[in-house]
Amino acid sequence: MNRNTPNDDDRNNSQNEANALWSIVGYLISGLLIWGGIGWGIDQWLNTTYFILVGLLLGAGASIYLVWLRFGRD
Amino acid sequence: MGAYLASEDGFKPPSAADFNLPPIFGDNPFTTKPIFLAFLSVILVSVFFISASRKALVVPSKLQFAGESVYSFVRNELGRDVIGHEFMRFVPYLFTLFTFILTNNIFGIVPFLQFPTMSRVSFPYVLAIITFVVFHYAAIRHKGLFPYIKEIMFPPGVPKAVYVILTPIEVATYLIVRPVTLSLRLFANMFAGHLLLLVFFLGGDYLLQGAIGLKLVAPFAFGFGIVLTFFEFMVQCLQAYLFTLLTAMFIAGALADEH
Repeated sequence: MNRNTPNDDDRNNSQNEANALWSIVGYLISGLLIWGGIGWGIDQWLNTTYFILVGLLLGAGASIYLVWLRFGRD
Repeated sequence: MGAYLASEDGFKPPSAADFNLPPIFGDNPFTTKPIFLAFLSVILVSVFFISASRKALVVPSKLQFAGESVYSFVRNELGRDVIGHEFMRFVPYLFTLFTFILTNNIFGIVPFLQFPTMSRVSFPYVLAIITFVVFHYAAIRHKGLFPYIKEIMFPPGVPKAVYVILTPIEVATYLIVRPVTLSLRLFANMFAGHLLLLVFFLGGDYLLQGAIGLKLVAPFAFGFGIVLTFFEFMVQCLQAYLFTLLTAMFIAGALADEH
């Protein structure tokens, strides 16, 4: 992005960080919800109890990876 | 102890049922208090800002100054600083959202009104749906429908197999988690705050009717209730700000170019 003054740039950066903060929470929640939910569904289907754990771990890991993809790569 | 409690009439703590207010006119379910409060807030906000901006002077009156302070706060802090150079298009929406939510929240501690409209979950739901439509529409206008969908579903630089895991999370974030958390945050804060005040004031009232020892404690309950009322005022302002801020951030995300 072409910004004129360093001051503008600073404000833009800190704003981006604040934006990222809120998006990160959203990603973490949906990672747990989606994959935890899928794991829970498999548990219901197969009458097991451990797929929800697998799903939650997968979801947490995947959403952290996604956060890194979106915000951590610069 | 159990027998002692059972022999008392017992304090009936406030519950979610206290938020189900009966219709005011007959059986018409569209005439409940929250609905009237929502209309009242629209009238109040309109009257306030129309009269504040009617006679715009270079040296502003107190009313004009108050109106302009709120407007420039939303415009600069929530619009310009968050969204960036295209912010003016969204200022009317942000401004309406902020003043509407703020007024309705503050109704929770205004004597005689004393009910935060947003503690009925449908109101925040509708506001979140509007925000949802606004930021997706802004993104589609800015980027085009298919590039936008592609950007949401496929973050670049990932092996193809990993998309199976990541895409559901991305889609859920954009389509479900964002609007739901937005509305539930506002709803839950208003609900819990109102419940808290009910506990202290109804509890204090109950203590007043008890034995002399209980009567002596009652002022403390009321005192805490008053302190919490100020705390609630802070929460109400904060939540109105937060809802608008997050809306602005979603719009900013919709207009930002992926790099």
